[in-house]
Amino acid sequence: MTNNTIQRELLLPQSQQQVWDAIANSAALADWMYPNDFEPRVGHPFTFQVPPKPEIGFEGLTVRCEVLECEPPSWLVFSWSVAGPVIDTRVSFRLQPEGNGTRLFFEHAGFDLTQPGGKQAFGGAQYGWGQMLEKLSTVLSNQGIHENQP
Amino acid sequence: MVSTSDFEPDVFHAISHRARREMLDQLTDDERSVSVIASHFSMSRPAVSQHLRVLLDAGLVTERKHGRERRYRLVPEKLAPVRDWIAHYERFWDDHLQRLQNHLSKKSEP
Repeated sequence: MTNNTIQRELLLPQSQQQVWDAIANSAALADWMYPNDFEPRVGHPFTFQVPPKPEIGFEGLTVRCEVLECEPPSWLVFSWSVAGPVIDTRVSFRLQPEGNGTRLFFEHAGFDLTQPGGKQAFGGAQYGWGQMLEKLSTVLSNQGIHENQP
Repeated sequence: MVSTSDFEPDVFHAISHRARREMLDQLTDDERSVSVIASHFSMSRPAVSQHLRVLLDAGLVTERKHGRERRYRLVPEKLAPVRDWIAHYERFWDDHLQRLQNHLSKKSEP
């Protein structure tokens, strides 16, 4: 109930290699995620730089990652750390050919709201984390697709 | 320190302990007495009561007297801040997976 995993499954019309090239490539990730220094190499530490949005008081954010598993063209896992309960969470992509396309299994796991240090992290939450998330969420919903917005 | 007792992070604090999460899990289907709850733990009865007090203070459970014992019931709507929090990230990924699809269709145009 209080440990959560986000899972999504998509059937994409592109080939497995094309999808792989879109997720395991720094330039592609910069297009649909954020500027980054990703390399498809296990153990490689990298960051995503979420740009600031001064107009809503969002100061920007660095997501710290490390490639944990990389098996082209079907399996990519990287860690995802921001702050608070999002330390050492794991983002994974599994690709599987299906018909002429590719099935993508996406998962973001490891939101344990109580990891070691979680208490302190939530202490921090009292003065900033919740607000930061709210701003981040505004940033995110102001870009890309708005279909989830009222 | 400024008191923020009615502020939602109390809920996060309350669920920041594994035993308290397990207690909440026990209460998902029905109310339970302290003794039933305590029977699932190796800790002392007073320790169990202390954890229940934290859950009570956060509003995550309610307490009522039933004969000689106290029974606890989950207040699931109080977990909303936690679910909201995950929902932020769900929206994040729904947006970005949509962007991934846009990226792919852009790339595969002839």
